[in-house]
Amino acid sequence: MSGAIREHAVTVIVSALSTLFAVTLILFTGVMTVAIDPELVEESGTFRLVLLMVCCIFIVIALYVGAIVTANTFATIIAGRLRSIALLRLIGATANRMRARVAGEGLLMGLLGSVIGFVLAELLCFSATAIGPALGWLPTGRAYPLFDPVALIALVVVVFTTWCAAWVGSRRVASVSPIEATGAAVELTPNAAMRRTGRTVWSIILLVIGAALIALGLIVSVFSPFALFVSFVGGLFSFTGIVFGAHVVMPPVLRLVGRGFRGAPTATLASANIARFPERSARSTIGLVIGVTLITMFAVALESYRAMTLSYFAFDPSAEAALDQTLAVTTAIFTGLVGFSAIIAAVGMINTLSLGVLQRTRELGLLRALGFTGAQVRRMVMTESAQMVIAALGFGLILGVFYGWVAAQSLLGAQVGFAAPSVPWLLVCGVVVFGVALALVASATPARRAVRVTPLTALAVD
Amino acid sequence: MRSFGSMENFAQHTQMVALTQGLSRYYGADAQRVTALDDISIGLRSGQFTAIMGPSGSGKSTLMHIMAGLETPSAGRVWLGGDEISGLGDAALTKLRRRRIGFVFQAFNLVPTLDILGNLRLPFELGGHGPNAEERRRIDSLVHALGLTDRLKHRPHELSGGQQQRVAIARALATKPDIIFADEPTGALDSRTGREVLGLLRSAVDTSGQSIAMVTHDPVAASHADRILFLNDGRIVADRGPMVPAQIAETMLRLEELAA
Repeated sequence: MSGAIREHAVTVIVSALSTLFAVTLILFTGVMTVAIDPELVEESGTFRLVLLMVCCIFIVIALYVGAIVTANTFATIIAGRLRSIALLRLIGATANRMRARVAGEGLLMGLLGSVIGFVLAELLCFSATAIGPALGWLPTGRAYPLFDPVALIALVVVVFTTWCAAWVGSRRVASVSPIEATGAAVELTPNAAMRRTGRTVWSIILLVIGAALIALGLIVSVFSPFALFVSFVGGLFSFTGIVFGAHVVMPPVLRLVGRGFRGAPTATLASANIARFPERSARSTIGLVIGVTLITMFAVALESYRAMTLSYFAFDPSAEAALDQTLAVTTAIFTGLVGFSAIIAAVGMINTLSLGVLQRTRELGLLRALGFTGAQVRRMVMTESAQMVIAALGFGLILGVFYGWVAAQSLLGAQVGFAAPSVPWLLVCGVVVFGVALALVASATPARRAVRVTPLTALAVD
Repeated sequence: MRSFGSMENFAQHTQMVALTQGLSRYYGADAQRVTALDDISIGLRSGQFTAIMGPSGSGKSTLMHIMAGLETPSAGRVWLGGDEISGLGDAALTKLRRRRIGFVFQAFNLVPTLDILGNLRLPFELGGHGPNAEERRRIDSLVHALGLTDRLKHRPHELSGGQQQRVAIARALATKPDIIFADEPTGALDSRTGREVLGLLRSAVDTSGQSIAMVTHDPVAASHADRILFLNDGRIVADRGPMVPAQIAETMLRLEELAA
C-alpha cells in the first residue's frame, strides 16, 4: 500500500499544485477587483472578466503541463506493473476494465489533490484578506469576497483533467498480453518507438503553417505593427506543433546533449538510458521546455521592446524610468505566473527519474555485480538528470529568445527596422541557476535509491 | 588486501583459487534464526570446473554469493586467489569483482542499453581506462571463437537466449579472472543450447586453465564438471570427482530422501 502511495504521490502533488494555482488566481481577481474599485464590480463585470480571461491563459498552461506530467507518471507506473497486469489478464480480467481501474485511481488521486489545493488556496485568500489591510497591502474597510463559484469549476476541471491524463497514460494496459505474466524476463520491453504517424503529421502541419505565418509577420512588420497578430498566431501554431511533436523533436535534442557526455562508462550509460525510452524522456522534458520557453519569451520580448523604444524616450528620462518600471513589473508577474508551470514540470521530471531507477533495480544490481561502485551508480543517475535538464533548458532558452524576438520585431519593426534580440542576461542566469538546482534535487532521491541496490539484486529471480 | 600467513601458504601449495574456513551464514534474529551455511571449510582448485549441487534451500547459492564477494559471511573466513576477502568493504569488493571474478547468471546478464561490444568492454572501462591492446586482442579472439563477430553492434534483446549467454561467457573470460562463478547458466535455455554453453565453459577450463565454479540443480550440467560438491541443509555432504548424469541424479535423490 505504501508503494501505491509513493507511486501516486506525484499525481496528488501535481493536481494539488494546479488547483492551488487556479483557485488562488480566481479568488485574487475578485479580491483585486474589490481592492481597486468596489463599484466596478456592481456596475459591470467587464474588468473582472478581462482579469479572469488573462488568468485563464495561465491556468490552461499550468493544466496542460500538469496533464502531461500525470499522463507520463501513469505510463511509467504501468510499465512497472506490467507483470501483475498480465497476471490479472491471465485469470480473466478484460483489458478495458483494467485500464478503467487504473484511470479510476487517477480520478481518486486527482480529487484528493484538488481538495488539498482548494483548501490551501482558500486559506491563502483568507489570510491575505485578514492581514492584508492591516499591513497596508489592501485598502481597509472593504468586504473582500472569500469564495467564487468559478473556483469550484476550476476544481472540477482539474479533477477531470487528471482523470483523462491517467486514461491517456494507461494506454499501454490495453496491449499487455497475458503471456507476459509467465515469462522470466522482467526487463522492460524496449520501446519499439511507437508509431504515431497521425500525431507526427499534425505537428508537422502546425509547424509549417506556424513558420509561414511568422515569416509573413516579419515581412508585414516593416509596414505595420498589426504584424504582431500574424506572428502571434504563427507562434501559437508552431509552438503547439513542437509540443505535439515532442516525441519527434526532443529525442534528437537529448541525443545532441548526450553526445557531450561521452567518455566515462557512467556517462555513456546515462545517455543510453535516456535514449532507451525516447517517448518517456521526451514527455518528461517537454513540460520544462514549455515553461522555460514562455518565461524567456516574455522576458526577451519585453527587453527587446524596451531596447527598441528607448530611442524614443532618450530625451525624456522620467518617461524612460516609468517605462522601465512598468516593464520590470510586467516581466516579474509573467515570470511568476509561468514559473508555476515550470515547477509542476520539474516535479514531473523528478518523478520520471525516480520511477526509472525503481524499475531498473535489477539492471543496477547487474552493474554493481560487474564492478560499478556505489559512487559510479550515483554519478550515472546524476548525469542522466543533468542531461535532461540541460536539454530542456537549452532548447527552451533558444525557442524563447526566438519567439520573444519575433514578438518585439513584429510590433516595432515598422519604427526601428530589424534589430537583434535583446537577451536579459539576469533572467538567463536565473534559469541556469534554477536548472542546476533542479538537476541536483531531481537526482537526489533516485540516486540515493540507486546506491542502495545491492549486487545480489541481479541474481534475484523475481 | 589482507593476507593470512598459514592459510595463504596452504592456498598456494594446494593451488586453491577460492577457499573458505569455518564459513557460516545466518539470516534473521535470534528467535527465528535460519542457518543457510553451517561451518563450511572447502577449497576450489585452480584450473578446475567445480559444480555445486543441492536441493532448493540447501545453501548452494549463498555459498557462491559469499565466495564471490556478493554477500558477507556471518562467521568464518574466505580467500580468493590467496587474498582474504572476508572483512573487505564494499569499495574493495567492487574493485575485486571488476577484474578478478567473472559472472554468468541464469538470465539478465547483459546491460540492455549497451550493444554487445559495449557489454564486453564494460569491465575494463569501469576502471577508468578501456582495454589495452592485448586485452582488445583477447576480446577479438573470444568474439571470433564464440561466433559473435556479426553481432557486435546488436543490442542484447536482439539476440537469442543462447547467444546472450555466450556474450556473458565472453565477458567473463575477457578479464582473465581468477575464477568464474556461474549461477544456473543453463537454467533459462533449451537443452541443446544449454549443452553448447556447458561445452564452452568446459573448453575454457581445458584450453586455458580457467577456474570455474557453477551452481546448478541439473545433473546433466553437473556432469561436465571435474568435481561435484553436494550441499544439504547448509553443509557439504559429498565431495566427488566426475560423475555421469544418472549417478548425480541418484545422489540428489538420496539427499532429498534424507531430508524428508
